Amino acid sequence: MTASGKARSGRPARKRRDPLWLRVLPSLSVVLFIALWELAVKAGDVAPIILPAPSSIARYLVAMILDGSLPYNLAVTFVRIMAGFLVAGVLGVLVGVLMGMSKVLARVIDPWIAALYPLPKISLIPLLIIWLGTGEAYILTISAITAFFPVVISTYAGIRQTSQELVKAARDLGASTRQIQTNVVIPAAIPSIFAGLHLGMGVTIILVVAAEMIGGSNQSGMGYLLIRFGQVMETEKVFASLVALAVFGGVIMKGQQAIDRWVAPWAVGKS
Amino acid sequence: MDIIVENLVQVWDDGGAGVRALDGITHHFRSGTLTCLLGPSGCGKSTLAQIVGGIETATSGTIRIVDPKNPSAPPARPGQCSVMMWQSLNLFPWRNVIDNVTFGLEMAGVPKPERYARARELLASVGLRNFEEKACSQLSGGMRQRVALARALIMDRPILLMDEPFAALDAQTKIVMQEELTRIFERMRKTILFVTHAIDEAILLGDEVVVMTARPGRIKEVIRIDLPRPRTQEMVGTHEFGELYDRILHLIREEVLNAMRQQDEALA
Ligand SMILES: Nc1ncnc2c1ncn2[C@@H]1O[C@H](COP(=O)(O)OP(=O)(O)OP(=O)(O)O)[C@@H](O)[C@H]1O
Ligand SMILES: [Mg+2]
Repeated sequence: MTASGKARSGRPARKRRDPLWLRVLPSLSVVLFIALWELAVKAGDVAPIILPAPSSIARYLVAMILDGSLPYNLAVTFVRIMAGFLVAGVLGVLVGVLMGMSKVLARVIDPWIAALYPLPKISLIPLLIIWLGTGEAYILTISAITAFFPVVISTYAGIRQTSQELVKAARDLGASTRQIQTNVVIPAAIPSIFAGLHLGMGVTIILVVAAEMIGGSNQSGMGYLLIRFGQVMETEKVFASLVALAVFGGVIMKGQQAIDRWVAPWAVGKS
Repeated sequence: MDIIVENLVQVWDDGGAGVRALDGITHHFRSGTLTCLLGPSGCGKSTLAQIVGGIETATSGTIRIVDPKNPSAPPARPGQCSVMMWQSLNLFPWRNVIDNVTFGLEMAGVPKPERYARARELLASVGLRNFEEKACSQLSGGMRQRVALARALIMDRPILLMDEPFAALDAQTKIVMQEELTRIFERMRKTILFVTHAIDEAILLGDEVVVMTARPGRIKEVIRIDLPRPRTQEMVGTHEFGELYDRILHLIREEVLNAMRQQDEALA
């Protein structure tokens, strides 16, 4: 009865905290980088159209938040990302699980995946615009198609890699084949499924922003903002949008990790 | 349940000529007895236990599982009335302690309050009270072993296959668990096949010790242990115990040396 202790989170407790200077080093390097940038721009008298100073980027950032353009376009992009991710995630996990369960289905689908996965999905944009126009359907389709592949491939791999020992143990305890599939094979694949969903989220973000840049007719979203500011050479606004997009991407990824930990704490850090 | 094993041969597929793990095992494991399997590492003890448990199918040979009280009934299918406690435990990492223990009952459709009540009782008897909700990854090796034991015991099958169940326990816990197993066995009279590499454990627990040869596994000798029951830890000091120990040690040493020689030859 020794192992109860304080390790309640299920994660190994950090053995010893790093020294203070090591912990502040990452933030310090960012601050230093920004300070040098500011100094260089001021000293070199660089035209803001080429490289604006961080201080003026920050001013524009605040202005764009206050006038609502940044929150609005971020929200639009966020909804598009979620839609694409949801479609790709649900279909990818479903098809991956079905492939893992049925040899016949795996045989049929495998060559399609092998053929289509290496194709850069961006190259489908002209076709999709011909078929779907330049509206929401096009953005959803391009991002969902792209994210579908990593999800389906990881899910299928996870299912196939299920420990046969665990399957045997479950059968020995009286589980039927059906019960083994739902109670052993699928939970065992969850770390791989999570890994696939992370990859899927990454490409969904990329593809939604890219689709907003190329051909999106709705004139909204972060991709559209970036392109528009770029074309009129409002470099400060381009930078401000980039900063917002980077923070936004980081928040989405962290949120996804938090959901993973909440849904299946045992699976975190396994793959 | 009597387990009658005849001429069991197991050749594992290793991509080449195959590994002959068992080479003609013939033995009658009597109903209500605890048989210990001893032998050098790799001699096929786990393989034998898994074949008896219907988890693996032998290359050739027969297993008959019959009820001595009802010999005319058709023999049971291997696995039907046995449960395995695995050397590698095979706990389900996504289930907490109590849901691991109740896995078999859940699959059988036993309602939750009932299966939890039984699991709580069993967990308490193996010293894991208040650990019901813990994740398996939070337990020590010895605690995990006890979860695996409870998961097998809860099935209440007449045959219990135990593959080195106490190997990861510290000396004190081991003694407690051996006593607990002795108590369960003497009360329930299950048929137990107990794989171990500890000679004293085999003598203390077993009605019979089957010593196996180095790979390919054959039965080298069967030694009856006539120490009275209930067995207690104090018997370890007796003259009778010492004699059995020396005799088995001698047999095992020969086979371990054989196994080492085989390994040297394989490397050369
Ligand atoms: N599933 C398997 N597939 C292929 N070979 C196997 C398999 N299981 C066991 N073997 C081989 O069969 C031989 C006997 O293995 P087994 O696990 O039965 O030995 P053991 O007596 O239980 O050893 P230990 O005391 O180390 O647990 C070994 O050479 C092993 O490599
Ligand atoms: Mg073994």
